[in-house]
Amino acid sequence: MSVSRWLLLAVALVAACAAGLALGPVPIVLGDVMRALIGAGEPQTIAIVRDLRLSRVVLAMITGAGLGMSGAALQGTLRNALAEPYLLGVSGGAAVGAVLAVVAGLTAALALPVAAFAGAACAVLLVLLVARAARGRADPRILLMAGVVVGAFANAAIMVLLAGAAEGTVRSALWWMMGSVAGADWVTIRWLTLYALGGGVALVAVARDIDLLALGEDAAAGLGVHVAAATRRIFLLAALLAAVTVAGAGLVGFVGLIVPALARALGVRRAREVLLASAVLGAALVVGADVVARTVRAPAELPLGAVTALIGVPFFLVRLRRVS
Amino acid sequence: MATDARSACIRRVLGSFPDWSEPVVFSPPVFRVVIAAALVAAACGVPVGGRTSAATIEIVDDFGDTLRLAQPAERIVSLNPVITEALFALGAGARLVGRTHWDTSPVAALAVPDLGDGMQPNVEAVLAARPELIVLYASNANRAAATAFHRAGVPTLTMHTNRIGDLPRALHRLGLAIGDTATARRVADSVTRSLDAVRGRPRGAVRPTVFWHAWDAPVITIGAGSYLNELVDIAGARNVFGDLSQPSPQVTLESVARRNPDFILAGPVTARRLRADARWQAVPAVRKHQVLVIDTSIVGRPGVRMGEAARFLRAALDSATGVRRP
Repeated sequence: MSVSRWLLLAVALVAACAAGLALGPVPIVLGDVMRALIGAGEPQTIAIVRDLRLSRVVLAMITGAGLGMSGAALQGTLRNALAEPYLLGVSGGAAVGAVLAVVAGLTAALALPVAAFAGAACAVLLVLLVARAARGRADPRILLMAGVVVGAFANAAIMVLLAGAAEGTVRSALWWMMGSVAGADWVTIRWLTLYALGGGVALVAVARDIDLLALGEDAAAGLGVHVAAATRRIFLLAALLAAVTVAGAGLVGFVGLIVPALARALGVRRAREVLLASAVLGAALVVGADVVARTVRAPAELPLGAVTALIGVPFFLVRLRRVS
Repeated sequence: MATDARSACIRRVLGSFPDWSEPVVFSPPVFRVVIAAALVAAACGVPVGGRTSAATIEIVDDFGDTLRLAQPAERIVSLNPVITEALFALGAGARLVGRTHWDTSPVAALAVPDLGDGMQPNVEAVLAARPELIVLYASNANRAAATAFHRAGVPTLTMHTNRIGDLPRALHRLGLAIGDTATARRVADSVTRSLDAVRGRPRGAVRPTVFWHAWDAPVITIGAGSYLNELVDIAGARNVFGDLSQPSPQVTLESVARRNPDFILAGPVTARRLRADARWQAVPAVRKHQVLVIDTSIVGRPGVRMGEAARFLRAALDSATGVRRP
């Protein structure tokens, strides 16, 4: 991809972040925003810019980048333009893991992503097993159906786990399941960044395998790829990234679907570049979606997952027509 | 498709949340007064009023259904904590044969069998208690249950208990149903008088603004539709989100900072958490340590203890603003 296109992506991300830092119920001019970022100016402005807006922007960036990369890896490896963590039930599995951890009293910022990852990994395996049982791993629609079934199962499992929980706990859990970066705090962000960076770097490192697997399993095997091991590695990394986003921001759907497609529309072909472009675009998209979520119905806030779904569903339908 | 099903499901679950937010614990002194009033009324042999006659009692409820009882109900299931508390205040606690899981006030209510939720209740469990009267919270989520109870032939009384003004009406209807409207009137008058006593004390020029912290994730406060908004008003303060019509609107933390309340009202656990949370430092009142701890066990519900709740709130605000009262 040409340098100018990378620049375009960078500009999109910077613009989204600027909007995320400058817009909100309290009017703050951009100059004061900049000063607040370096710790100068009114304590009130500094608190709003740093602890309310910047933390949201950073969490939205991690979420978008993680979902974008996860979607890109799944789409490439499965040779399926409709694959993405939310539709494949991977995010749902992560949510089950996270809810289980919370019910068990494990709410530490360190533990939650691990529990979510365990759930996401189980969901990936389950989806592939269901699709294989239907002999439909090659058919995008059967794979999606397997994903929807696993997602529904995850939903049911969460409802069972929440039965008998206090009313407030249920409300918080449902709010979290609809996706939000409102709860962004720096301790959580630090841990999520660590996990997301680890998963992202590892995924970029195996990007060559994704390229080869995209040619078909036989072709990849002929080129010296250990297909089963490479596929497993990529799926687990995609599950890890999805789990990190779920632990941080709940269920945010369709980002993993939209973003890799946009990246390819920009002319990106090689998996490494698709992954990186998806990370940047995903970050920009979720930061932008969060600005919409917290401004259009102010002083109330829309669930972030609802905003991304409103953008994503029409997009999905268009792609479904093309794939079929 | 999956998203639709999920959101429908979430809507259903969300729709079932009752308006009462935290469990209320029995507070003896006020109760003793109310119960004493009930005993006095009974001892004086106050005649039974209302539209009761030898043959039937007729009450139109908040779903517009007409409840008919041949005689005052002796076995009652109450599926609303406010009503359970009110029945004890009316001296009819012994008639209760079922309550919800959340009816923990007064303490005597704990001896009544727990039948589960009051929103979308377990119809079979309620019918198994063989009630002569079921009192249900009037919410759309409970329409199906009301229909099921009607079909089973059990007299059912559905009532809103959302606002201060709902309580006297609820008490009057309960009085009709248990055949003791005089006590119902006494209790209602006593609640109204105790609220008026707080309202009648004028505050000077200062009318502090408050933010009521009802929930943290998402941030939920109280709006004009909540009884707590009325209570804040009676206590001489102004709710910064009083312009929102919903009873419990969800708001962003930044909009709280923008509206810049003089005080934050929060439960003891939440208050401690707010002071330690970096994000909440964006709200000046938190930075200035103007978080008032509210005893949610007193100020929980628009029930017979509202007078006490108003007094408590007023005292908290007075001591925080340095207003001295004789």
